[in-house]
Amino acid sequence: MANTAVEAAIECQGLTRHYGKVKAVEDLDLRVPYGSVFGFLGRNGAGKTTTIRMVTGLAHPTRGRAWVAGIETTSADSSARRMFGYLPQSPAFYNWMTPVEYLDYSARLFDLSPSQARQRISEVLEVVGLKDASRRRIGGFSGGMLQRMGIAQALVHSPPVLLLDEPTSALDPAGRYEVLDLIARLRGQVTVFLSSHILADIERVCDTVAIIREGRLALVAGRDELLESYAVDAVELEFEHIPANPAPIPPLFLEALQGQPWVSGIAANGHILRVSVNNTAQARPALLALAAQHELHLTRLEWVRPTLEEIFLKVSG
Amino acid sequence: MLTLNYTLSIFLMIVLPVLLAGLLRRRFQVAWWLFCIGMLTFIVSQVVHLPLNDWLMKAGILGQPGLDESHPLWWNALLLGLSAGLCEELARALGLWILTLVLCRRQGTNPQWTLGQGLMLGLGHGGIEAMFFGGVMVAATIGSLLSLQGVDLSSLVSSPEQLTALQRQMDQFINAPWQAYLPLIERLIAIGLHVTLSVMVLRAFQKRNFLYLVLAIAYHALVDFIAVIITASGSVNAWAVEGLLFLAALPGYLWLAQVMRQEAPPAPLRTPLRRELALFWAALRKELIQQWRTRRMLIVAVVFGLFGLMSPLVAYFMPQMMLAIPGAEAFADLVPPPTPADAMVQYVKNLTQFGFILALLLGMGAVAGEKERGTASLVLSKPMPRWSFIASKLVSQLAVYLLGFALALPGCYLYTVILFGELSFPPFALLNLALIFWLLPYVAITLLGSVLGSTTNAAAGIGLVGVVGLLIASSIPQISGLLPGALVGWAGQLGSQAAGGIDALGQAAALATGPALGALAFSFMFALVCLVTGIAAFEQQELP
Repeated sequence: MANTAVEAAIECQGLTRHYGKVKAVEDLDLRVPYGSVFGFLGRNGAGKTTTIRMVTGLAHPTRGRAWVAGIETTSADSSARRMFGYLPQSPAFYNWMTPVEYLDYSARLFDLSPSQARQRISEVLEVVGLKDASRRRIGGFSGGMLQRMGIAQALVHSPPVLLLDEPTSALDPAGRYEVLDLIARLRGQVTVFLSSHILADIERVCDTVAIIREGRLALVAGRDELLESYAVDAVELEFEHIPANPAPIPPLFLEALQGQPWVSGIAANGHILRVSVNNTAQARPALLALAAQHELHLTRLEWVRPTLEEIFLKVSG
Repeated sequence: MLTLNYTLSIFLMIVLPVLLAGLLRRRFQVAWWLFCIGMLTFIVSQVVHLPLNDWLMKAGILGQPGLDESHPLWWNALLLGLSAGLCEELARALGLWILTLVLCRRQGTNPQWTLGQGLMLGLGHGGIEAMFFGGVMVAATIGSLLSLQGVDLSSLVSSPEQLTALQRQMDQFINAPWQAYLPLIERLIAIGLHVTLSVMVLRAFQKRNFLYLVLAIAYHALVDFIAVIITASGSVNAWAVEGLLFLAALPGYLWLAQVMRQEAPPAPLRTPLRRELALFWAALRKELIQQWRTRRMLIVAVVFGLFGLMSPLVAYFMPQMMLAIPGAEAFADLVPPPTPADAMVQYVKNLTQFGFILALLLGMGAVAGEKERGTASLVLSKPMPRWSFIASKLVSQLAVYLLGFALALPGCYLYTVILFGELSFPPFALLNLALIFWLLPYVAITLLGSVLGSTTNAAAGIGLVGVVGLLIASSIPQISGLLPGALVGWAGQLGSQAAGGIDALGQAAALATGPALGALAFSFMFALVCLVTGIAAFEQQELP
């Protein structure tokens, strides 16, 4: 095992899975640091689920290896599965069981003592908000309840790593909010590896983001660092709409702007002017002074920050 | 004592290869499918080997050692050794060559064969040989000898020489109960030899040096040559024969030990065996609860219980029902009075007609259904070994059928005694044992179908093909004696004996004629092979 694997919550080295001629995942090298909430982004079919299934041991890599908490999960040894909890995209349970029975069965598989099991079952049902439904048959649960039950079974043995495969994709907005809130609350307690194609979810809860494209890792970075590095130094000015005014943007202001050394580009679109700058530090005070000098009637002045969606579209092609 | 020793010996010959493979899997982290490939290479080798020997004899090139004086013993021994060496070692090499091609195509690079894989291939190859030629064939032979106890042997043979040979065999069989373990010892020596030979052939691929293959063929031929010479001479004590065979295999074992010392084995599985067994019990507990909660247990209990009660009732009232048909009074003299034998016939017929249908209906979704619904992937993302997932399903189903028989047996027995006044319990109990062993392969093959099928419908199709295949095979005269169908015939005989008042267990056991005892062993072996194949296939499957 690679020494580096010990330091990472999840480590993949050259992880590859081919289905005939289709390269679902190709030479994936990935390290997920302990304590992070790691977002794994990709379009549908990019290889997110295949990667997670290989890491969990449910799929066999064509080549390459993976470790969770320092223990190889791609070998024949099932003991590594104690190190993580896994929530598939659509978790399926034995409909004839109640949540308590399913969690008790899970606890037995994780070798929890009966007293430990009782305590953990009670705790996780509380955390996921299923305490009141703990004696109902799972067969009658809604989609949101099943997802919460899925999180409960993944947490029952207090694993150091949680692998969540598109946990919100099948949920309505309320269910999505609940699950994301739950994941956010887990920050600092476990390492969360969250795969999704819903960018808003990733942006909301993840501190590190990886983007997978056609089975290959396209990018890995901290969320803020990523947003910063892809930030376009630009400012948007929205001018007040005055019906009598034939030119919504004063031509004199435009002329003055073009003469500034910190301006690298100007694009006007109706009442909105987008100004690209090459020196933000210089531009910030100078722009305000210039606007005041021309007595502009502005309704909005905003320094533009890219969304994860824009970065994702750019990176994932 | 005699029966116990042979039962234990036969049981171990069938079970030990699988247990050894289980230990090997833990020690070398090697997959079960290699055991199956080993089994397959043995079967393929015999498809060529047996007809080849037959042809050599018919062509007059080979004589029957000990019986045919037309060829010198050394010549026969040499030819037999060479044919075995060539067929089996080339089958091993062919298997490895095909595997290399498949893995190379799948992985894009040549597979790195390991010692553990060679050991597992050898265990599979020698294991199926021990199971079939050891366990099943010895069971069939012992069954024949058991049924000859107390029979006038001179009525069975045509020459005094044959009578002497048969008498000597019977004396040895009856007076030396410890000889029951000789076939087991011989099979263990053979398994060790097959493991050695498999590693030799694997070495040829590892080192790209096909002299290892030539060496394997030559060594196999040599050991078989020695075996034929010492067994055909007839003058060597049976225990000494095994000792000499061991000595012949010893150089191979020493070579293997040296290879094992040279190659550092991988780390063994982290999960202790005790923990793996605890996980199996957890899975079995869940399966049994599921059988209860999903009403499967109830269905089997009701169906079997009803057949137990109904069989003597139907047999008893059948003449009255027939005579109740308008106009049937005229044939009253032709309708025989009901007997307990009729109840037994009904019982066997009902359970065998519906048993395999139940096995198919209740077992087809056991694994495929879980794969289809996604429950399997969630459970197997936890530290449950896949073998325990599959094994727990087979054991739980068998437990349910045992419960069914436990209800059918007293029901049928009591109603028969009440209605007909008499039924001997020992043969009737053995009859139920025969039916349990008859059902076992159908349950196992349905489970295998459920593993191989990706959906319940596909599993049902595969299971049905397997079940029908077994039923058809049971009607082929050359092999029918060893197949589950023979157990139905035995059950019928036991039913007649039970109705006829034989109440000594010994007499009933004597009814285990050769084919029936062989069929018992075959059913057990077949179920075990289905289980191992199911586990091997399931380990390789990707779960959705």
